[in-house]
Amino acid sequence: MELLQSTAEALRLLMAGDAELWGIIFVSVKVCFLALVIATPPAVLLGFFLASRIFPGRRVLIVAVQTLLALPTVVIGLILYMLLSRQGPFGSMHLLFTQQAMVIGEAILAFPILAALTLSAVQAVDPRVAETARTLGAKPWRTSLTMLLEVRFAVMAAMVSGFGRVISEIGCAMMVGGNIAGVTRNITTAIALETSKGEFVEGIALGIVLVIIALTINFGLALLQGRGGSR
Amino acid sequence: MSLMLVRGLRKSFGERLLFDVAELALQSGSSYLLTGGNGSGKTTMLRILAGLETAQIGSVSFEGVTIPAGEICTQLSPRVVYLHQHPYLFSSSVAANVAYGLKAAGMAHAKREALVREAMTWAGVNHLAHIAPHKLSGGEKQRVALARARILNPKMLLLDEPTANLDEEARRQVAGLIRQMCDNNHCVVIATHDPELMTLKDAVQLRLENAALR
Ligand SMILES: Nc1ncnc2c1ncn2[C@@H]1O[C@H](COP(=O)(O)OP(=O)(O)OP(=O)(O)O)[C@@H](O)[C@H]1O
Ligand SMILES: [Mg+2]
Repeated sequence: MELLQSTAEALRLLMAGDAELWGIIFVSVKVCFLALVIATPPAVLLGFFLASRIFPGRRVLIVAVQTLLALPTVVIGLILYMLLSRQGPFGSMHLLFTQQAMVIGEAILAFPILAALTLSAVQAVDPRVAETARTLGAKPWRTSLTMLLEVRFAVMAAMVSGFGRVISEIGCAMMVGGNIAGVTRNITTAIALETSKGEFVEGIALGIVLVIIALTINFGLALLQGRGGSR
Repeated sequence: MSLMLVRGLRKSFGERLLFDVAELALQSGSSYLLTGGNGSGKTTMLRILAGLETAQIGSVSFEGVTIPAGEICTQLSPRVVYLHQHPYLFSSSVAANVAYGLKAAGMAHAKREALVREAMTWAGVNHLAHIAPHKLSGGEKQRVALARARILNPKMLLLDEPTANLDEEARRQVAGLIRQMCDNNHCVVIATHDPELMTLKDAVQLRLENAALR
């Protein structure tokens, strides 16, 4: 019964446009969005080169990307914490417990997903794409661009997956963000805090938002995969 | 002078020798019908001539200029264009596919437009402009691919079974377009079994058999 009541109250809070609540949601969305904007270009480039070029160290790099994919978010948070803390090598930049630190952390988390998914998308691209481009006179860079354009839906799907991973993680956001109210408190760290205080309403409201985001993401993914697989 | 002259062309896959050709001379203004049984190496031969596949090559020259064997594609495309048996159309639009080579050559959009329209009209694909390329039928794809190649005015066109797996109507349309391309300015090499194309007038017969070309 209490759960039902709390949920009703949570929905009321959301509908009422509660400033604190929506501020927290905004922090999450903003941080994740910026992280993706930063991580996507280098990750897509790396994924593309790993898929299409043969060079010494390639296998090592592929394994490294796959390892990063499996690294727990708290471990990334821990490493970044040590780098950014006052005694750390980047301590003088005073980034710890700021949104910038969260953006860096989430970008690092999104990077291997984007790189790995781009890698497999480019590996799966029809060999006729590059051959057709080359025989029509395309230079290597245009051939590469054409291949990337052919897998654009897969790359967008990778971005959506990356967004899904970083918006729902808590380890890194908590450690380098510090859950400071009005600054670095985001959906996941707020849920953890409210729950630990025994206050479920706000937690449930944010949980609902997170679930809606997750559903939207999966719906978007299904759409993108439909487009990519339609040829 | 031959348009393309290849000497000492050998291709093997592992232990298996696919073909060993002492000399292959292709002339401008001539068309060639490349025949041979399944697996005789027709596709492989065309791909080697396009520089899309490696082989042991004694020497290659094009219009009298010697080309390093490893640089056939980079140096000769798009003067030499290869068409896959099942052409791949980029997932943009039909017009963008036809324009691709001109764009790659750096031609400005405004200059391209009239040429693209002309090539599409030639291939009879104007009405397909707004359909997603992957939704086109096999014959329509083949026609778009022919327009995409012809717009570049290639010296040599390598066609891999362009009418295979097409219905009667589509075969006639595609064969008609190919017939038009076999003129004095082009060298067209067609791998085919299609009787419709075998009647191409003045075409030189090349047959791959027992690892030799005759
Ligand atoms: N990458 C490869 N590795 C090993 N064998 C290959 C490879 N590519 C082609 N072959 C073999 O070489 C032979 C010639 O192939 P190719 O496709 O050139 O023949 P084709 O004359 O075009 O046949 P078809 O009439 O069926 O199109 C085939 O037996 C094929 O299995
Ligand atoms: Mg073949």
